[in-house]
Amino acid sequence: MSGRQFVLLSLNGISFGALLFLLSSGFTLIFGLMRIVNLAHGSFYLLGGYVGLTLMQGGQSFWVAMIGGALAIAILGFVVERGLLLRVRGRTMPEVLLTVGLSLIFADLALARWGGDPILLDRPSQFAGTVELSGVTYPEFRLLVLGLGILLAALMWILQSRTRIGAIIRAGVDDREMVSALGINVNAVFTGVFVFGALLAGMTGVIGGVFLSLYPGADGEILNFALVVVILGGLGDLRGAIVGSLLVGLIDSFGRSLTPSLSYFLLFAPMALILIFRPRGLFGRATVD
Amino acid sequence: MNTLRLVKWASLAAVVGLTVALPYLVSSFYVNMATQMLFFGLFALSINLIAGYGGMVTLGQAGVLGIAGYGLGIFYTSYAVPLGVSALLAIISTILVAAFFGLLLVRASGVYFLMITLAQGMVVWGVAQRLTTLTGGDNGLRGIARPPFAVEYWSYYYFSLAVVAFCVFLIARIVRSPFGLSLKGVREAETRMAPLGYDVKRIKLFAFTISGTFAGVAGLLLAMYNNFFSPPSVYVKASAEGLLMSILGGVGTITGAFVGSGVFVFVTNYVSGYMERWPTLLGLIFVLTILFTPDGVVGAWQRLVWAPLLRRYGAADEAELIEVGVGGGGLLSDRDLKGSKSAIEAGSAAPSEEPSEQVEETRAGS
Repeated sequence: MSGRQFVLLSLNGISFGALLFLLSSGFTLIFGLMRIVNLAHGSFYLLGGYVGLTLMQGGQSFWVAMIGGALAIAILGFVVERGLLLRVRGRTMPEVLLTVGLSLIFADLALARWGGDPILLDRPSQFAGTVELSGVTYPEFRLLVLGLGILLAALMWILQSRTRIGAIIRAGVDDREMVSALGINVNAVFTGVFVFGALLAGMTGVIGGVFLSLYPGADGEILNFALVVVILGGLGDLRGAIVGSLLVGLIDSFGRSLTPSLSYFLLFAPMALILIFRPRGLFGRATVD
Repeated sequence: MNTLRLVKWASLAAVVGLTVALPYLVSSFYVNMATQMLFFGLFALSINLIAGYGGMVTLGQAGVLGIAGYGLGIFYTSYAVPLGVSALLAIISTILVAAFFGLLLVRASGVYFLMITLAQGMVVWGVAQRLTTLTGGDNGLRGIARPPFAVEYWSYYYFSLAVVAFCVFLIARIVRSPFGLSLKGVREAETRMAPLGYDVKRIKLFAFTISGTFAGVAGLLLAMYNNFFSPPSVYVKASAEGLLMSILGGVGTITGAFVGSGVFVFVTNYVSGYMERWPTLLGLIFVLTILFTPDGVVGAWQRLVWAPLLRRYGAADEAELIEVGVGGGGLLSDRDLKGSKSAIEAGSAAPSEEPSEQVEETRAGS
């Protein structure tokens, strides 16, 4: 492998990792606080992308599409949380299975509305070009995704460690009963976190529409990447989401180049190792269950 | 009481009679539906075995089923191995893969178990999709034959019936065996099993492997039925549909798996002719079942109809057993099992950790 190819594959892996982080940060936050494995997260991603598509077909810019997709899915997330998940609050299996049922419904309705052909969204005009990076010509858009990933990681870090909301969330992860005993409306916090996660997923969907394209089945594929991220990194931990995303992004990028037909299988190897030697994930906590 | 027992046996005899006489009664369309119901039911039952009896909910079982389907296809069509030998090799492959997956799962429970199985199933799907030299990729594998004595729709129906009936017989034996009871023990109170001298990891590994083997048999029947096997059969959606059948019928019951597969096959074969958005209907059925009848059709039947009947005819003990025993214990329902004397005596539904945890979490959440 030439040095140039190595740089290119690394950049691809890191920028794909950034995309995965945008998605899995919300996924892992929802789990950390609410203990809900939201298996409709992939559907949120895909629907967000499709809403962005409709907006862009209507002549809107990428940025409007991204915000529109994010807001639409935030509203959907609110409806799902208040309308359905609240009814089975605290019962792990029904919560997870409800999100499975919803993902079946969303996938079919998306197919009905947006059809079955893969669609690649246009890059934003400001980031449509390429740049030279140590001898490699690289698309600006992928660097934008990387920037967004770093920005979100920084924001979430500050949110978690420096703000009152972050303190409530951290306390909620450790001891929900105590938090509610302190007079904090835990249900409102839960809804807020769920809606925030949905918002991120919707936003990532529009970005992913440029990055990977949108098609039926993209929901399950991206969800699986997010699952591997949190299995590697540990559920419910921000650092885990960052490290897991980068690992998965890099493995996928190098795997696709080295053994295209087995790249999916390569993802499985580190996951198997983690499950055998550190079942909670790299940053997983013993208290989480 | 005797009247009730008579009713029970008479209806069982009627079901058996109908099942055997079916190809003489209805057209090939319905016989084919019944065939699908049989192997999808076996698939749902394989999920039921670990989810309903063992409390380990899987979303990757279609991946395990796919090992058998692809194994059969690859050995038979690509390497021209005789059909029977191909089937045997496919089942052996399935057992090996299921055991390997199981090894990665023994330390997990609850949602972790579910997530890991989902990822495992997706890996099988990803390999099926991309390793085109072996699997044919999106085009799948064509030319998978049925056994020479079961080529016609009716003979394949009888063939499937025989295979599935034998598997159901085995599963019924397994769940009543000491191993089956220890599996229920893992479901009810995993942490208490170790101090009692049970090797929980080994029980889980065995359960997952056995369950995977039956899923493999269902996979063989599916592949031979369609003469074809392709990635959608192993996708996470197929796993979710299997779980849907299992839950819809009633987790922790054997009849439930076939009730669930019956509804599924009815929607995919019959309703789909009249309603374009039938997958949405399936999803809705899933959501509504979880919200309103978490113990499924069979569970609701036993709880709402059969138990009151038993009580009325003076068999209150048996009725109470049903009331606490169905629905996979604390898996999906939130009924509190504590303080039920017959439940403790029955040993199958002792007060568990699961419900008390749920109570705690509900309180925290509200």
